[in-house]
Parts: sequence; C-alpha cells; structure tokens
Amino acid sequence: MTTAHLKGREERRGQLQATRTRRNTTTRRTNPRSTAARWIALRATALVVLLAAWQTVTAAELWPRVLVPSPADVWHAFTEGMTTGYSGHTLTEHLAVSLRRIGIGTGYATLVGVPLGLVIGAVKPVAVVLEPAVTFLRTLPPLAYLSLLVIWFGIDESPKIWLLVIAALPPIAAATAAAVRDVPGELVEAARALGAGPVSLLLSVRLPAALPEILTGIRIAVGVAYTSVVAAETINGVPGIGGMIRDAQRYNQTAVVVVGILAIGFSGIVLDAALKGVERIAVPWRGRT
Amino acid sequence: MPSSDVQETAVGADIALAGVTVRYGSPKAPVTAVEDVTLSVGAGEFVVLVGPSGCGKTTLLRLVAGFERAAAGEVDVRRAAGVVFQQPRLFPWRTVGGNIAFALARHGVPRDRRATRVEELLELVGLGGTARRRTWELSGGQQQRVAIARALAGEPRILLMDEPFAALDALTRERLQEEVRSLADATGTTVLFVTHSAEEAVLLGSRVLVMAAGPGRIVAEVPVGLDRGAGAGAVAGLRALPEFSRLRGELAGVMREAAGR
Repeated sequence: MTTAHLKGREERRGQLQATRTRRNTTTRRTNPRSTAARWIALRATALVVLLAAWQTVTAAELWPRVLVPSPADVWHAFTEGMTTGYSGHTLTEHLAVSLRRIGIGTGYATLVGVPLGLVIGAVKPVAVVLEPAVTFLRTLPPLAYLSLLVIWFGIDESPKIWLLVIAALPPIAAATAAAVRDVPGELVEAARALGAGPVSLLLSVRLPAALPEILTGIRIAVGVAYTSVVAAETINGVPGIGGMIRDAQRYNQTAVVVVGILAIGFSGIVLDAALKGVERIAVPWRGRT
Repeated sequence: MPSSDVQETAVGADIALAGVTVRYGSPKAPVTAVEDVTLSVGAGEFVVLVGPSGCGKTTLLRLVAGFERAAAGEVDVRRAAGVVFQQPRLFPWRTVGGNIAFALARHGVPRDRRATRVEELLELVGLGGTARRRTWELSGGQQQRVAIARALAGEPRILLMDEPFAALDALTRERLQEEVRSLADATGTTVLFVTHSAEEAVLLGSRVLVMAAGPGRIVAEVPVGLDRGAGAGAVAGLRALPEFSRLRGELAGVMREAAGR
C-alpha cells in the first residue's frame, strides 16, 4: 500500500517537472496542482466578468440607482457598516449575533438530533412513528412556524433559537438514522463475534461507524440554519444580519441589503470550509476502508 | 432427517452439529444452503472444511458462530468462539490497540489491565509496538494478524476461521499459516477452518472434511496423519514430506470427485 503510494507521488512529481519544462506534449495526463490553479483562475475570471457586468449595468442606469446600487455604492455601504454601522450596530456585531444564534441553534439540534437519529435508525417501531414527523418538519418553510413560535415564546431570543433548532434538527436526525442503518453488516457481525451486546453495538460500533455521515448531516444543518436565520430575525431581529436587512429594506437602503446578503453568503462559505476541515480531522478514516 | 446421527456426536465435543439444515430466502421459495450435516470437533482439534465455492462451508461456519439459524437439526457449540473472517473487518475509528481493547472490554477485562493485554496479544501475532497505529496504515497481512489477535482477546475455546488468508499474497499466507497452526498448538484452541485450497487443508488440518454443493453437505472425511514438529517451521517442513504431496493429491482427488457428483 505504502509503496504504491510512494510510486504515485513520484509519478506526480515527474509529471510536474514535465509540465514545467513543457516537454510533456505526448502524454496529456493532467497534473492535479496545475488543474487546481486553472480552476481558481477560471473562478477569478468569472468574478471579474460579473463585477464588470454589474458596473456596466449600473453605469448605463437601466434601473434607478435606488433599486440597483453600483459596486462602489455597495463597497461604500460595506465600509460604513464596518465603522459607523447600521441600526445601532456594526456589520461585524450583526454578523456575530446571527452566527451565535446559528451556533446555539445547530448545537441544540445536534444534541437532540443525533440521539433521536440513533433511536430511529436502531428501533423499528420508533422509526415508524417518528420518521414521517421528521420528514414533515423538514419540508416546512421556517416562516410558516415562526408565527406560532412568536405566539408561544414572544419576540425575544427564544423564538429565534427555537426556529433554528426546528430547522436544523431534521437533517441531523435523518442523516444519523440513515447512517446507523447503513453500517456495514460485516462490522456489526465482527463486533457481535467479539461479544458486543445491543448497547455497545449501538454506541461503540453503529455510532462511530455513522460518524462521517453524522458530521455531513451537521454541516447540512448549519447550512439550513444559515438560510433560516433571516426568517428568524424578521421580527425584532436587531442586532442580527437578518434584522439589519429588514431595517435596510424599510428605508430602501438597497446597498445595505446587498452588503447583508454578501456577508451571509461569504461567511457561509468560510464556515462550510471550516466544517469540512473538522470532518477531515474527526474522521481520518473516511475513504480509506 | 435421520435422528440416529445424534448418537455419532461425541460427548464433550466443542462443536457438535447433528442433522443440521440451513435454508435461505423466503418460506415460499427456500434455498437449501446446507442439508443434513453432522459433524463434531473435539477439544483442541484442528478441523478444516474444504469444498468449492457455494458448497455451504461458510454457511456452516456462520452457523457455528451463531450468525445463522438452523432450520432443522441440533447445534451444540461451547460458547466463546472467536471468529476470523476473510477480510480483517477492523474498526477504522479505533487504533490497532483500540480494536483489541474493544474485545477485551466486552470480555470484562478491567480498564487498567487492557493495555498490557493488548501488547501481549500483539506480540503473539508478531506486531508488538503497533498498538497506537491506525488500522489502515498496516498492510493486508498485518491487518489480518490484528484481526486474529482481536479474536483471541477473549481467550476463546474455539476459533472459527473463514478463508482468513485467501486475500493475502502467497508469502504472507505461508507465514500466517505457520503462525496460526503454532498458536493453536500452543494454546490448545479448537479450530474450525474453512478453505477452498487442498494444500492449505492438508498443511493445517488434523482432519479434513470435504463438502459438495447442491445442497451443501459433507461427503468425505480425510484424516491427516502428518508428523508435525513443534515450533517455527513446522508447517513449512511439511511441504518437503512425500507424505504431504501424497495426501494433497489424494484430497484434491476426493474434492474433484465431490464436485463432479
């Protein structure tokens, strides 16, 4: 295994040198590193094209500036958001509050969703009852139950957290249940042969074997919480990025709305990448067996 | 099902099957995997089951392991059987030592004594000092050794091995054959070993049971009366004996005949 590994590495190095010296015309095998560089270049080009198109459209004033702000307007709104802020808080503060809500929401959802998924995956009668409930919850748009949560919990922090928990729970529970069910029978058999009872089978074999999928479920749940946070912050959402967007909408500050959207989107990309990193560290065996 | 077969079952045998039938599939369209098998393996015996693929030898082993249920007949197995499969089936989320510690924990070995036991077991299979390694860092042969150490962790009376060396290269296979045979001799463990290779059967077994397919059943028994020396090289030494070649040829002939039926 290791020798094959080394050989592969040598091959790659060889290819790299070949491309550097540009003598590699006959064998057209793609080099992973140069391919990655090419994709990044393509991405950058697309971004530049998008910005240029945006600038052209706003310069031509096809639509009023109030509706479609120019890149410069958005940049200005961004710097102002970072310094003086909007609705009494800087952009960073808004984002931090929203991220905290997302964190607490998915945290609770994980605490409940993983055990729930374990039980659904392992106990058939529980699955029969709870699985449709999870699916039902999953299909509901958060705005649909926001009103109910406001009636029950008021307009402070708790309805927002509740909304995010309800939004983030189903993907975690569903991923856990599916993963626990799909644990290779060979491993379960091996554990049984070693004397594992039902409890240790569930906690020491099925749970760790399902960990990669559970982490993916959590990553998806964070994404769902991200898309739901603006809904959660429609009522009394300041500070919070969703609340900021709502406020800006009320005063037709289109540039601020765009800044809010971009802030959510970019922080989402960063967070997703971070979670992927956590997955790699927590599940080093993924793809190796 | 002839009930008289039960009498053949030796008293005090570690594994005793009497008139056992195993069926797969739905009750409406059952497939008989094994039919009316009677066998007994005495304490400390090394018995090999050989036969072509699909003859039900693995099913029989799985029945003894408790993974299958007999549709008819009696199964009597002294508990605490360790199982080694064709694939190592190690838990990738645990280290090499962790895999063995898992088995130790299931057998009630207290936490503070597990580390010492893990090291002992790893040394037994020639992998001392690898406890902290990741399972996938080991070669296929090393992984299979860990699987054997893990199966031995509960100090089983019986070791069930289902073509454990089939996926290994020839050199590793020979070395592991050697080790397993001397381990069995040293610990007095009863072994039921499944293989499709006549050579492996004669090398390892004290007694070889030949199976035929459609439905799976035992058709012949070949005693292997080879003079095994103890210690290192005991198995390799057998290959040089003319007696070994004769037995291997004889067994291959019996297997061919069984397959042709």
